[in-house]
Amino acid sequence: MSDCCPGSKTMDFSDDEQTEDETGARQSQLKQWPIQLHLVSPQAPYFQEKDVLLAADCVPFTLADFHKDHLKGKSLAIACPKLDSDQDVYVDKIASLIDDSKINTLTVMIMQVPCCGGLAQIAKSGADKATRKIPVKQIVVGVEGGQVLSEEWL
Amino acid sequence: MENILNKDIRAVIDQCPEVGRILEEYNIGCAPCSVGSCLVSDVVGVHGLDPQTEATLMYKMEKALYPDRDIPEPKVDMSKVVPKEINYSPAVKNLVDEHVWIKRLLALIPTITDFVEKSETVDKDLVMSCIDFIRGYADKFHHMKEEDILFKYVDEKSEIIKVMYDDHITGRNHVKNVVEGAESGNKAQIKEHLHGYRDLLTQHIKKEDEILYPWIERQMSDNQIGELFQRCSAADASVGEELPKKYEKFIIELEEKFAKEN
Repeated sequence: MSDCCPGSKTMDFSDDEQTEDETGARQSQLKQWPIQLHLVSPQAPYFQEKDVLLAADCVPFTLADFHKDHLKGKSLAIACPKLDSDQDVYVDKIASLIDDSKINTLTVMIMQVPCCGGLAQIAKSGADKATRKIPVKQIVVGVEGGQVLSEEWL
Repeated sequence: MENILNKDIRAVIDQCPEVGRILEEYNIGCAPCSVGSCLVSDVVGVHGLDPQTEATLMYKMEKALYPDRDIPEPKVDMSKVVPKEINYSPAVKNLVDEHVWIKRLLALIPTITDFVEKSETVDKDLVMSCIDFIRGYADKFHHMKEEDILFKYVDEKSEIIKVMYDDHITGRNHVKNVVEGAESGNKAQIKEHLHGYRDLLTQHIKKEDEILYPWIERQMSDNQIGELFQRCSAADASVGEELPKKYEKFIIELEEKFAKEN
């Protein structure tokens, strides 16, 4: 199994020690619907002049505090660069978010697996295609342990 | 340690020069700073050290100041401390890139002052063209984005920002003196103040690139980073893209001129 694709390689973390219990309900930081990049309209009101988070599908399941630490205060779009079709549309939608909805920043969150780099490339291509320029940040999330491995402005 | 944290770094180093050496060990260059009015707590905090490194630094300083105290040593494996690469947001990256053009002029200053000294009469056009770059590019185009936009995102009363403003003012005084020297043909005055400007800006830019800018960005939200970018872009657009191009061309031509002369 060691040579298989890291994006689909089977891994089991169930034996990892849990350090603390959590009690009480958390508040969702999601302020919109829909969220899938094919389904959202880039001109939707919830994108206007906002900070936008483009997350790979697996990211929110990996980070326990995704809502609190990353989604809070941002509008969301999700996509999978490995499985989704018609990804040219994604590039155009990101360009439209920047030019038409005049979003303030774009943060793309991807998993550390190689195939996820495609989403960062889509974000960059969309930003390059747009006439307006905005800061674009990339956050890479580790598969095991759900930690942020790197965070950088591109 | 609490009372030390609220003291001026200069007073602490004067009391115990070993503290200055310890800070140097952590690439914190407070010992040669001419101002030294930053609080110890700000000096440590502004460098964004990881918690373990910061704890070790504080331990060493406390031990140097109070050798008789029984202070537990923090358990840190320094071999595992990885130096962080600075990642600037786009607006701040542009400011850092502008520093490169300013540093290229600073690098030429000894050659320029040698040329002025050896010339029969002061080449006023040459000196004033350098002054035009300093005033038009370094001060108006670059420093104004810092003063009018970037510094507004942090407490402008903080010591580190005051030091930056003081440097800008000192730099303008050097420029004023260079102009006076050019007007009167006083070669010594031109040399003294061009070199003074060079020494000042060399340290100033290093402080900004390595300490101040990362410190400011650590305090900013993504929303503010986006706003900063738009405000700096608007400031650039207000002067037009020809202005920086003109000054960049000036630096290239100046480098070529002195490359030929040497």
